Amino acid sequence: MIGPRLTTAFAVITCLAAMLACAANERDREIISMREYVPSEMNGWKTQDEVETYNRESIFDYIDGAGEVYLMYDFRKVMVFRFAKADQPYILAELFDMGSPQDAFGVFSHAREGEDHGIGQGSEYRGGLLCFWKSKFFVCISLERETPEAKKAVQDLAGNIAEKIKTTGARPELLDYLPSEGLESNSVRYFHKHTTLNYHYYTAGENILNLGPQTEAALATYQPGETYLLCVRYPEQEQAKEALSSFLTAYIPEAEESGSAEIEDGKWVAAKQERAFVIVVFDAPTEAYAQDLIKAVEDRLSELASEERRTP
Amino acid sequence: MTQSKKTITRRDFLRGTTCATFALAMGLFPEEEKIVELPKKTSVILIRDPDVMDAKGRIDGKVIQRMLDEAVTALFEKKEPVEAWKLLVKPEDIVGIKSNVWGPLPTPKELEQAIKRRVMDAGVQEKNIEIDDRGVLQSKIFGQATALINARPLRTHAWSGVGGCIKNYIMFVPRPSKFHGNSCEDLGAIWNLPLVKGKTKLNILVMLEPLFHGVGRHHFDATYTWQYKGLLVGTDPVALDTVGVRIFQAKRLAYFEKERPLKPPTHHIVFADTRHKVGTSDLRKIEIVKLGWKEGVLI
Repeated sequence: MIGPRLTTAFAVITCLAAMLACAANERDREIISMREYVPSEMNGWKTQDEVETYNRESIFDYIDGAGEVYLMYDFRKVMVFRFAKADQPYILAELFDMGSPQDAFGVFSHAREGEDHGIGQGSEYRGGLLCFWKSKFFVCISLERETPEAKKAVQDLAGNIAEKIKTTGARPELLDYLPSEGLESNSVRYFHKHTTLNYHYYTAGENILNLGPQTEAALATYQPGETYLLCVRYPEQEQAKEALSSFLTAYIPEAEESGSAEIEDGKWVAAKQERAFVIVVFDAPTEAYAQDLIKAVEDRLSELASEERRTP
Repeated sequence: MTQSKKTITRRDFLRGTTCATFALAMGLFPEEEKIVELPKKTSVILIRDPDVMDAKGRIDGKVIQRMLDEAVTALFEKKEPVEAWKLLVKPEDIVGIKSNVWGPLPTPKELEQAIKRRVMDAGVQEKNIEIDDRGVLQSKIFGQATALINARPLRTHAWSGVGGCIKNYIMFVPRPSKFHGNSCEDLGAIWNLPLVKGKTKLNILVMLEPLFHGVGRHHFDATYTWQYKGLLVGTDPVALDTVGVRIFQAKRLAYFEKERPLKPPTHHIVFADTRHKVGTSDLRKIEIVKLGWKEGVLI
């Protein structure tokens, strides 16, 4: 009896070892592939041979508290390339694998403020820092200090990396539900967790909308009046129903059936559930405007659902 | 989510029923009548001097020494700075000066030396003094310290709203990421760890050329610094950060011409008060003593 048992155990161990080797090979291939996106030289700046790589566990060895921003998304790893040129500021290029194009967009949207810079699928340049997203990658290239030559090198480097990432990725579908009229396009944020909601619009200490890794949320501001529109998609309709109830109880208990209330600063808050979605409007100048925004999202949801039905 | 205890929401801050500082940090202004005067419990010295730095940011060591001396004598109501410093440290003390080395905006060397000079003037031997930031856990002096002096610049921070006096002690924990949860809400807890609890004799929040705005992690942009040329000095780190944030709010309002909340909100300052009892975050309980240059004081 020992013989077959040993054989089975040996087979299991061999199988496990092969699986581990495959996984390791896969990781190595990915790292090599990511490395190929970044040139070794740009306008006289040369990268050091050693490239650092950090994952979800080791990210804080590289970044301090702000590393949490990446962990709010499906961050997998980051490769860090340091470029140097004599008598010029050094350039740091970071290539983040965010797991999906949606989360690459999400982390890009987290800190976006200005106009698009025309690189990748969305980009921004400010104060010696150029960030863009393309496919599942989020790329940040920063300068020690800005000089005209270094600024050009950063832009050329970003363009080169973006060109080498051959595929593109879809933006989060959730953004399609945001009505376009009055939308401040640079204000759109995409995320999953309540701490990110609180970062952009402090709502409550507790997670009153039941946000989490499985939920998708889009937050945007609308003019006039800087009204905030939040649209959350839950995995199931029942979860959306529970989330709405939790929100109404904690935030606008006086709203009752109407789902809207005027709050202490004279602005209006309104919330509604539609299928697996919860739509919330904050800081609306009037109740009618809040309800109009919610209605506009509902219309978009119906419109897109009909389109889907029509598509064979 | 269970809501067995009362959830604090944005509306509570609007009502002014909870901490006014937090409301201000979020760009919210509670109803005026809710802000009532309370007995002052802690003093913060704000001292400014137009000559402390030149247009290129080069610091005059003599001027910063004078500012520190004036602030400390005012804080402890003494005539001579050394008399005041003798209240803070004793000759037998082992003193750690906790600075900050963040590249674009470190604790100025001139200030570090000004502090060290006065600690020595108070009788502490040079061999028992160390200035450090990221190496404090490996340092023998910091490990045995009987007195700490905390000095760093104020700046906006991507994950805690601002980096100020409270946040400067994160290097005293082996795994700083343990304190990152919910935008660093419990940084105040670090101040109650045995390594530091009760040892901090003085806090200096450097406001010479602070960074009042930034987005994202790589966010140093000189566009958002200005030569305020000030120091905030006191014994209460929470009060210093509270006053610093108020100055930032005023600066941001002047610069952006509209309310622009700090992101993320600086709730770690409030919780350092309400949860961890490290100091006071209630502006009504803080007496701000303004010395020196008044132009553009913002508070």
